Amino acid sequence: MYVIIISVLGITMIFAAFMAIYAKKLITAIISLGLIGLFASIIFLLLAAPDVAITEAAIGSGLSIAIYLFALRHTEGQEEK
Amino acid sequence: MKNTNFVTGSFIALTLVVILGIFFFQALNQPAHEGKTMPVDNVHLEDRVSLHYVLKNVNEASQYLESHGKSYFNERDEVPSKTIEFGKSKNLEEGSANEVTSIVVNYRGFDTLGEVTVLFISIIGLTLLMRGINNKKIREPSLILKTGTTFLSPLIVLFGIYVFVHGHLTPGGGFPGGAIIASGILLLIIGLESFQFNSVLSKSIESLAGLAFVGIALAGLFVKKSFLANFMPTGTVGYLYSAGMVALIYIVVGLKVGAELASGIAKLKEGGKND
Repeated sequence: MYVIIISVLGITMIFAAFMAIYAKKLITAIISLGLIGLFASIIFLLLAAPDVAITEAAIGSGLSIAIYLFALRHTEGQEEK
Repeated sequence: MKNTNFVTGSFIALTLVVILGIFFFQALNQPAHEGKTMPVDNVHLEDRVSLHYVLKNVNEASQYLESHGKSYFNERDEVPSKTIEFGKSKNLEEGSANEVTSIVVNYRGFDTLGEVTVLFISIIGLTLLMRGINNKKIREPSLILKTGTTFLSPLIVLFGIYVFVHGHLTPGGGFPGGAIIASGILLLIIGLESFQFNSVLSKSIESLAGLAFVGIALAGLFVKKSFLANFMPTGTVGYLYSAGMVALIYIVVGLKVGAELASGIAKLKEGGKND
């Protein structure tokens, strides 16, 4: 059971990582990065590491995404055309 | 030329992903107790967290390992250990129920001090970089965001405080608790236009918490002749007043990390014009 869940989450994470690299818009890349953090925290929870899961959910899919979004707002209009 | 580079880079990335995927499935398919990889299928959560959280009498376990020459991981169930009862046993490796916490603060307390310092330095660097960058208006928050913020952000901050106050009993601790508090303040910053981040208050909380951490560590130096020694009574496993100074240090670390991350986010939102 765990193997199936973790495999599905892992494959989705790989696709999200590809999306983060090849997305045309930067905001799509940032959101797929947040998806990776969220799924990583679920995997940590399933592998019996609740401490790491809490930290990853708060930082990986919350605060760092907000920081990227604020940075994107400050660099608006300077993207490579 | 640019196109060729792109194709080559994509090819290398794809190959790496395929190789990593093969490793991933191989690691998952290893039977438990055979290799050194994480057993996934044959392990129950309660077997790892609740029942064995108390297997902390390291001295007996290491004596057993020396006499038998076996690895701890494979023979974990055979290591002799005292029966440990929640709410009754006393002073088992400083009395904290969450074993991660007892490692991070008791054995590796100096590392924790270093981590807090690294975060402090990175926030100083962020403040320096944001100097002279002006504020940019963000879109006005919608009604849903405003309404949600008013009743969700106090709950999020309260949960963060719970996470670091109960750091020695339940999963969590200073860093996750501080991050959760900072995300609650992030919600306030983007959701309520009238909210003004008080940077003087956050700076004073951060400085006082850092001083308190070093003060607790120095108290250990004076009382037990060792920096960061656990000098307080450790109480009974499972009670709130247990584990000695672990709870104090996690409260201090939680306040410090929360204030630091929140001030960093506020700096990114408002620009560094005021400093």
